[in-house]
Amino acid sequence: MIPLIGISLVSLVLGMILIAFSRENAKLIGVVFSGIAMLAIISALAMSLLSGTATFTEQYYAYITTPNIVLSLGFNAITFTLALMAVIVAFVTQLSGNTEREGYATSSALILLFELAAIGLFASTNLFVFFIFWDVGVVALFFMLYLLGSANRRRAAMKFLMYEILASLLLLFAIMLIYFYTPLRSFDIGYITANAFLIPHSTEILIFTLLFIAFLINMPVFPVHLWLPDAHTEASTQGSMLLSGILTKFGGYGMILAFTMLPVSGSFAVFTLLLGAFSAFYLAFVLFTQTDIKRIVAYTTIIEMSIVLIGIASLSPLGIAGATFAMLAHGFTISLLFLAAGSTGHIFGERDIRLLHGVVRNAHSTAYSFLTGVFATTGMPLTAAFIGDLLIFVSAYRSFSTAGIIPLAALIIMGAYLYYVINKSLLSTKESTKSIDYIGATQKIGYAVLLFCIFLFGIAPFIILKLFNL
Amino acid sequence: MLSLFVIIPLIAAALACLIPRTERVAKYLALSGSIVSLLLAYLLLSNPPGTQSLQWFNVAGLSVTITTATAQANLLLLMLVAIVTPLVFTYSMGYMELPSEQRRFYFEMCVFAASMMLFAISASFITLFIAWEILGITSYLLIGFWHYKERAPTAARKAITTILIGDIFMLMGIVIIGVTHAGFDYSLLLSNPITSSTQLALVFILIAAFTKSAQFPFHEWLSDAMEGPTPVSSFLHSSTMVKAGVFLVMVLLPVYSAAGLLPLILVIGIISAILGASNALTERHFKKILAYSTIEDLGLMFIALGLNAVFAAMILFFVQTFYKAALFMSAGSIIRANNEEEDIYKLCCSRNSKPILATALIGALSIAGIFPLSGFLGKSFVESSAMSSNIVVYAVLVLVGLATSIYAFRWLFIPTRNVFDKKLTGKLGYGSVPKTMVIPGVVLAALVVVATFIYYADPSYIGGAAQMQLLGATEIAITNIVAIAGIAVAFYIYKLGHRMHLASTNSMAFAALHNSTIVNGAYLIFAAGIAKIGALAGNLDFAFDRSIYVMSQLFIKSGYYMRRMVDGQTNSYALAFVLGFALMLLLIAFNLIT
Repeated sequence: MIPLIGISLVSLVLGMILIAFSRENAKLIGVVFSGIAMLAIISALAMSLLSGTATFTEQYYAYITTPNIVLSLGFNAITFTLALMAVIVAFVTQLSGNTEREGYATSSALILLFELAAIGLFASTNLFVFFIFWDVGVVALFFMLYLLGSANRRRAAMKFLMYEILASLLLLFAIMLIYFYTPLRSFDIGYITANAFLIPHSTEILIFTLLFIAFLINMPVFPVHLWLPDAHTEASTQGSMLLSGILTKFGGYGMILAFTMLPVSGSFAVFTLLLGAFSAFYLAFVLFTQTDIKRIVAYTTIIEMSIVLIGIASLSPLGIAGATFAMLAHGFTISLLFLAAGSTGHIFGERDIRLLHGVVRNAHSTAYSFLTGVFATTGMPLTAAFIGDLLIFVSAYRSFSTAGIIPLAALIIMGAYLYYVINKSLLSTKESTKSIDYIGATQKIGYAVLLFCIFLFGIAPFIILKLFNL
Repeated sequence: MLSLFVIIPLIAAALACLIPRTERVAKYLALSGSIVSLLLAYLLLSNPPGTQSLQWFNVAGLSVTITTATAQANLLLLMLVAIVTPLVFTYSMGYMELPSEQRRFYFEMCVFAASMMLFAISASFITLFIAWEILGITSYLLIGFWHYKERAPTAARKAITTILIGDIFMLMGIVIIGVTHAGFDYSLLLSNPITSSTQLALVFILIAAFTKSAQFPFHEWLSDAMEGPTPVSSFLHSSTMVKAGVFLVMVLLPVYSAAGLLPLILVIGIISAILGASNALTERHFKKILAYSTIEDLGLMFIALGLNAVFAAMILFFVQTFYKAALFMSAGSIIRANNEEEDIYKLCCSRNSKPILATALIGALSIAGIFPLSGFLGKSFVESSAMSSNIVVYAVLVLVGLATSIYAFRWLFIPTRNVFDKKLTGKLGYGSVPKTMVIPGVVLAALVVVATFIYYADPSYIGGAAQMQLLGATEIAITNIVAIAGIAVAFYIYKLGHRMHLASTNSMAFAALHNSTIVNGAYLIFAAGIAKIGALAGNLDFAFDRSIYVMSQLFIKSGYYMRRMVDGQTNSYALAFVLGFALMLLLIAFNLIT
């Protein structure tokens, strides 16, 4: 068996080293090595689909032996889906994100580092390693924001870091508690899942609460969502794509882990549903006051992740599959939207919807990509988002009856505003804004790849969903 | 043959239109795709009635299939769409002139037609929803096709927002039915008993049907949809899109009847029919009159469904396709000849334009309900089903019928009383209307005439022989007398009297008739309310963010004061030590005493 996860991680490290020596070719190196990582993960997926096993063979490397910390890597259905999304999004980010500031070398290297963190996090079967990759990802994105964002980037980056460090601390505390309260003192996720019932009830509640808050911050869902819009306003296009496309999925995946690992999660299900539903509606309304096109897209992230949370809270294999699929869909859709929003800012030097007019006239591909992204966000069939929504709400209705499907109505409010945004800035070409720049072929390839993925997984969802049946 | 094959030529044509530099051939691609689809649909007629399923995906015990059916009703709608599509495409060949917009237009039209065909043969809610929502989205794209026009983006947004409400309600309904009936096929819903949750789902689906079929209170998007190109209107109002809601309710009617929801359907149908007719009487926009008339037609279909008269609804559904498409095509031609003028009082007709005028006349006679033309069939059946069950509904129908023939002939008489003036409109004229725009209208007008005879020759093609009914002489007579009375009134007022309006424009009567402004105002108030809540939530979110910021400032401030205590002065350290020691002693003493 070829150690494909290992290959992908090593190629990413190699890419970073090469960039250090040849800064002028950074973009090319970044594209090539994240391409290699992407191909490795896709071939791992293809191999396990062909052999009919949902889990990819795990690979063990001794890391620290005394407290039983093993760098063990492997995929199951959930992490396969998310890792696939992450590598494709990271590849597109490398390829087509326009750097608003000079810094190809920095951004290419940081994207490789973040991709490494993402693959490592999704592949790790060990909570301690999970935590390490989590923090690597946070740090990589912090620098991405701090070094490469727009004018107020430092402040936004600090805000991001404060929230994320709080999440990390809570996560570390919870992991430690889990370690000390499981009989064999293990970090292994499979072992913990099997033996979680042995943890004393009050401790289990504490652990769950800690994990819940930590992942809630990362997802993000009301009331800990405030870092996300600010971070997106200041982030570069590449930073935004990674932030919403992949980083929020860390939280989503963590939430799935928390809910599946600990049996006590069942008693939190209704609370989680209410929180998710409130978050979806509240942020759909908050969306109405936003005028920066990137901020608008950022708020839709929170709404979508609230819906993902509802899928997880429904606590059934279907809900988990739905939440995973919705995260896959959301990763592609939101990257497309951010790429289009970022390109709009790049082409017109303006991101305020009150000042943008007639984007469609001067930036065809950007406008149509944004439009398709909006269709996908509102859950159009034949885009991947529809499958996610369908599975989540079928599961939610099974678990919570009518209350489970009410949050769908938040999509009406969100969609209504998004269509308003399209009218305001994309159309009305009568007084169209002058373009000051153009986008290259790489951006258009980026649109094409993301659109292809959105429709591929919308028309042929069985590619991914087959994994959940194995 | 697999019934899904029907849409493949159109999908292929749509994809071919995406290839760059196909501007010149796009129309031929679309037309040939639609003709092949028509042939396949014709072949499908010989298929035995039944359902076919294909598994789409299967996860964690939830199996989702693409199910299609070839029952009589499915095939009827499929044939209607398949017949109208090539005619509309032919019309578009003349209508859409700019090469730059060819690819986009035919791509969207092909997807639109294909999704309606998929809708026609769908037999499960999943198949339905795919078709349903793609119909909505392509209609949005088509209504806003000329997005550089002043009102087109707003009209498109109004349509998509209304339709989005319906789509989400539809998805909610589908989820409920999928769970409670353990599957998404219609047959599961139709064969199982009704529970309270099914009833809720049915209400949700009904809301979706009302948004799609432009029924009160969701009807105003349809009149604004006139901002799109005329072929789109002609397509959207006749066989596609707006018919979807009616058709869905028609298919599910046994369940609606069992769930006791028929009165709701009836009431909404009556309100919509009245609103449609009254607005059509007072509207000035040439195409919008026809749009309000569509709202009224759909209202009549819902009335028939509310009375549980499937056959009457079905036949109106069938005949409305032809006359409405013919009316829109002639309207588009007249507008083209008048240099895109759309005000009914400024339009001119020419005696040279006999085929166009004949098409318009046949359409108007048909919609008014004059005997040999097929419009009367639908109208009489709906009226006769009301006569036997509910006299109030019957009275409303007769009144609406009178209004219909008045506005139909108002629509026709006002333009014809102005003779075409060459000096007035300059370069364009009826000579500039291409043949491709005239012929499809003539074909449809012929179909309007033929449909009646086909019906009398073999009524079994609608709804099967079991449901076959024939009209009595009295019913035919009443419909025709009402229609002729309406035409006479219209002739007296608009042709002889040269009056501009039925009621003076600032009177109460006019305001009551032209109530679209009130409805649009209500929409705006509703939207403003949502925006208000949005502003409130936005402020709350901002305040929330600020409060966290202030808290962080408090921490920094407290750190600042703490730091000042550690100032390196031995004296102050000694003072603190002494004070602390004294406090400790006091505490110990206090403890000892108690």
